[in-house]
Parts: sequence; C-alpha cells; structure tokens
Amino acid sequence: MSRDPIGLAMATMSRIASSSFVERMGLRTTIEKLTYQGTKSGFKALGVASRQFKSASQLLRPERLEAPAQPKTQFDLTISDEQQMMRDSVRAFATEVLRPAAAKSNDDEAMSADILAQANELGLSYFAVPENLGGAATERSPVTSMLIAEDLAYGDMGLAVAILSSIGVANALTQWGTATQQSKYLPAFLEENTLQAAIAINEKRPLFNANELTTVALEKSDGYLLNGEKTMVPLIDQAELFLVAASLNGKPRLFIVESGSQGVTIAKKPNMGVKAAAMGDLSLEQVSVSKDALLGGDEFDYQAFINMARLGWCALAVGTAQAVLDYVIPYCNERVAFGEPISHRQAVAFMIANIGIEMNAMRLMTQRAVALAERGKPFAREAYLARVICADKAMEIGTNGVQLLGGHGFTKEHPVELWYRDLRAIAVMDGGLHL
Amino acid sequence: MKVLVAVKRVVDYNVKVRVAADHSGVDLTNVKMAMNPFCEIAVEEAVRLKEKGVATEIVAVAVGPKEAQEQIRTALALGADRGILVEAADVQPLGVAKLLKAIVDEEKPELVILGKQAIDGDNNQTGQMLAALTGMGQGTFASEVNVADGSVKVTREIDGGLQTVDLKLPAVVTTDLRLNEPRYASLPNIMKAKKKPLDMKSPGDFGVDVTPLVKTVKVEPPAERQAGIKVADVAELVDKLKNEAKVI
Repeated sequence: MSRDPIGLAMATMSRIASSSFVERMGLRTTIEKLTYQGTKSGFKALGVASRQFKSASQLLRPERLEAPAQPKTQFDLTISDEQQMMRDSVRAFATEVLRPAAAKSNDDEAMSADILAQANELGLSYFAVPENLGGAATERSPVTSMLIAEDLAYGDMGLAVAILSSIGVANALTQWGTATQQSKYLPAFLEENTLQAAIAINEKRPLFNANELTTVALEKSDGYLLNGEKTMVPLIDQAELFLVAASLNGKPRLFIVESGSQGVTIAKKPNMGVKAAAMGDLSLEQVSVSKDALLGGDEFDYQAFINMARLGWCALAVGTAQAVLDYVIPYCNERVAFGEPISHRQAVAFMIANIGIEMNAMRLMTQRAVALAERGKPFAREAYLARVICADKAMEIGTNGVQLLGGHGFTKEHPVELWYRDLRAIAVMDGGLHL
Repeated sequence: MKVLVAVKRVVDYNVKVRVAADHSGVDLTNVKMAMNPFCEIAVEEAVRLKEKGVATEIVAVAVGPKEAQEQIRTALALGADRGILVEAADVQPLGVAKLLKAIVDEEKPELVILGKQAIDGDNNQTGQMLAALTGMGQGTFASEVNVADGSVKVTREIDGGLQTVDLKLPAVVTTDLRLNEPRYASLPNIMKAKKKPLDMKSPGDFGVDVTPLVKTVKVEPPAERQAGIKVADVAELVDKLKNEAKVI
C-alpha cells in the first residue's frame, strides 16, 4: 500500500502516541510536543492512508443501547455519583491539560499528539461503544455525553471538538449502524491507536440548510456514487473515516466514507474560531462506496441526528460560557479603576449577572432536550429552542467577556478573545436555524 | 503484598475558604469537597506499585462523614481494589491513628501509605502516630519509594537535601508533593469502581474512643493587605523601614 507523505507522518505520530505516551507512568507529565509541520495547512492531497478494518467478531444483530431506568421523581436534575466523578475527572483534565494548551493549539490549528494520547487515557470512547464490542456502554447516555462536552469545552472548545469528533461518529454508529457496520468500525475506536473520525454535514453556500443537501448519492447496482463538497469538517487531515451527509433520492442520509477512497480530497481551511479542531473542506468526486456504506436502515432518523449534533454544540457553548464567567468575576473584582474594583460599577456587575443567568438558561434548556433524547422521547422542539438560545447568548457572552476586560480583552494575554471567536461557532455549525 | 492507603475528604484545593461567622472554623456550606491532594499521591503510588507487580491488593480507608464514600470511590476509580469507611465526624489525628491501627491489626498490610498531611488542618501527625502505635518503622515526606526484599527504601525530602532510609516491612510511608503526579480517573474505571466492595464501619466496631482531646479556640482569617504608600525619597524610605516596619 502506497502512503503519501502526510499519511506517513500521521502514521509515525500515531505509533509514537500508542507506545511511550500511553505508559501510565507519565500521565500528567508534559511530553515533548510533536510537531508535524508537513500536515499543517493548505495542502490538497489524498486523505490519510486508510487502515484495514477487520471485524473482531461478527455481530448477528446490531447492538442498541436502551434508555436508563426511569428516575424516581418527576423533575430531577441532580446527576448520579458516577456522573459527578466523571465530571470531576474531565473538568480536572480540561483545566490542567486543555486550558494551558489552548493558545498554542489555536496557533497550530491542530491538537498535539500528546493531548490526544492523554484524552484517550480518559477512555471517553468507551462510552460510545456497547459492551459486546469491547466498550463500556450499557445504556444510552446523552446526558453524560453532554456533561463531558461541557467540561471539555470549559478547558478549550477547539480541543473539545477535536476530542469529541470521533466519539460523535461512534455514537451515530451505535445508535443507527447495521451489525456489519458496527462490527467493522466500532472496535477500532477502542484500539490504542484510536480511529479518528469526523462528521461532515456543512456545505459552502448561503443559508445552508442541513435538510437540503447539494451533496448527492446516486444508487448503483453495487453501491452508491457520491458527489459534493463539504466544509467545516473537524480533524480534516487526521480523520480516517467520515460520516458524510448526502441526499439519496431526495432524502438526507449518512454515508460512511473512508478517507483513502478514490475521489476523496481534503484541504485544511481554518475558520475564525475552534481552530484546534483542524477544520477543513472535504470534496467528493465520483466517490464509489459499497451498499454497506449507507448508515443504518429504515429506522435511521436524520432529524434526530442533526438535533443531537446541534445539542452537542449547545453543550460546548455552555462550557465555554462558564469559562468566561469564571474568568471575568475575579478579574472585575481585582481590576481597580477610579479607586475601586470595576465590579462596583453597576454596568459591570449587571453584565456579569446576565452572563450567569443566560448561561444557566442555556444549560437547562440543553439538558432538557438531551434528557428527552435519552428517554427516547421526541425532542426536536426542545432541541430547536436550546439551539436558538445557545446560538444567540453564546455570542453575547463571548462579546461581553471581551468587553468586561476592557483593553485587556483585545489582547492575547487573556483567553477571552479566543472564547469570543469560539463562541461564534454555535450559530453557524450544522446549518442555520431552519425547521 | 497488601497495601493500605488512607484517604481524607477535605475542602477542594481550588476553593477559597472563608472563616465561619462565629470563628469556630471554616464555612463548609455549599463548598466543593475532594480528596486531599497528598492522599491522591498516596493512592497513585500504591497503584503504581500494583502495576509494577509489587503490590497485590490495595485497600483504601477513610475516616469521616458518610459522604467520604465519594473519596473512597475516587480511590477505587484510580485503581484501589476495595474500600473501608469508618463513619465518624470531627475525628482528630490521634483518633484517626487509633482507628487505622485497629484496621492494620485486622488487615495486616505490609505497607501503609498516607499523605504527609491534609490540606485542611495541616496537622502532619496521623502517619507518625500510626507508626508509633503499631510499632512500625516510618518514612515520612517520601519523594521516592522502592520496595525490595522485605524492606522499603524511602527517599525523604529534608531541609537542604535528601535522606534515604531503609525500613523493614511492614512500614508506614507518608507522601510528599514530588513523589508522583496522580493520574485522572478514566471513565470506564469510574464505572467499574461502582462494583468494587466498600465496607461501612463505625469507631465502635473497633472499640476505639475518638472523643476529641484538642479544642479549637478560635479561627481567624489572615489580616487583609493594606494599601501601599509612595515615599518621597530614599531617606524617608530608610526611615520608614527602620522605625515603622522595623526591618533594618
């Protein structure tokens, strides 16, 4: 198998990531950062050399996760002890590892290999893969996923997207994939050299609507032929697997496309924010895929898929908004102007109070929608409402975070300018607000 | 080799504590609690000994309120095998040491690892007292621990250098900050921790009297920093340093 230089660089990096970094001993120690300049930006090449997917054990029926047991009370937002412990662990990781690496990852427009290795140590992907396939998931847990997304984004949204990109694909495979698809791909998410994957929904056109796709799949006798352009796809130069949204007979569906497929080209295209997620364009030109590439059967629910993706962005917005709040409070209490802390000024105090109120509203509306999804109940309306408030208030909180720091907010010495740029992503990703 | 690790529930190190209005102690209402950082280092060291094949079983012990189960679960998620919680509130170091001795008599571990001190009371007493009560050797402020041939070599951080002591097992080791860097509990291990056994005990089960012997008279916050002043010249500065600050 011939490998292009980028593929070779990635493979080398992955090998290093799977050996020395994974040694439990030096978990929190800073490991010398790997640079892979060759993979940075602006190239147009074949995707990462594809791995050979081999089914560990062939499933007879697809694995599905059930809703957890019904809680005892009607309105209970307390999280379980396990969820709390997970939050503590993920929040510590986000604060101690992601936050200090945020600025550099933004400049590099990539997540470094040691951060990926440390994120893998947390075992996040185990929650997307059912027990029968080697994972740890015994029930559907969108609420836990949401808490994790929030806590990761508290450290850095760009890195959170980079870490969660593959997990989103694994979740979709667990929720809708056929037995063949699950057996083939899910175990690879748990390997030491974890499978990197990304979802490709967005397209380059004004008023993009996730339900009206210009990427088209044509049915052939032996499979499908895909044509189209996707944009803002995370991990563009590292993903080995893409979940591509394309229109099939006028209906939106998802197709599993390996990055090494003939006709797939990628180009890194950094945006204003969420830079560490290494987003870029994915172009599909006469890409031929097998019958097995169509995700799921008739029960596949594209709208639920889109809504979950959007709720993921809502959770990320809540985490970063919390970071803004926790940053501006001590700043405004310590920053003295006119002989007193600026928080004594009502214009400042009210602005901070509003961040707190709106962020909590964002969190509750997101939790409400996600909790319904976990129960397997309709959640489209709640997801839409959560998306509206998160898209709107995330931007406002980002702006106010910069504003509260005055001139400091504009500089790169404080992280609020990065959060401001990241928080603008929520309104853009996965289509505008069309019903 | 069986290893016993003691863990304590304390106010999270990120929390800015406030003195209670009646000056009886620190205000604990709605304050985030966590495992004492030195205890985390103790758990990590035990887990590393197990990963090296030196330790075979790790028992995590806590003395504290019922909620201290959370800290034992954290220890289990980090790699301890089972937990024991002695439910008792406001136990002072001597009481804790006596309870730990009773557990040591029962469990017969070859190594007991504790944090050098808890970040709430900063007492730095329990490990030393436990060693005295059980008659075991003690290696305090450990920055390196090596177990081999029925003994443990402990490198201790002392003023102006390092001291290495060799203790016959069983022994007590208390950890310093630089011994290791604890890992984050992985999510699958957090799920597994739920299934590991946790015994609930009370001081009465061991026949230990934990009545406090020391009474806290008053807790005061540090004095607030006063605003600085500008001096006109060096002469005034020297004068102030001599007569007001009395440092020269």
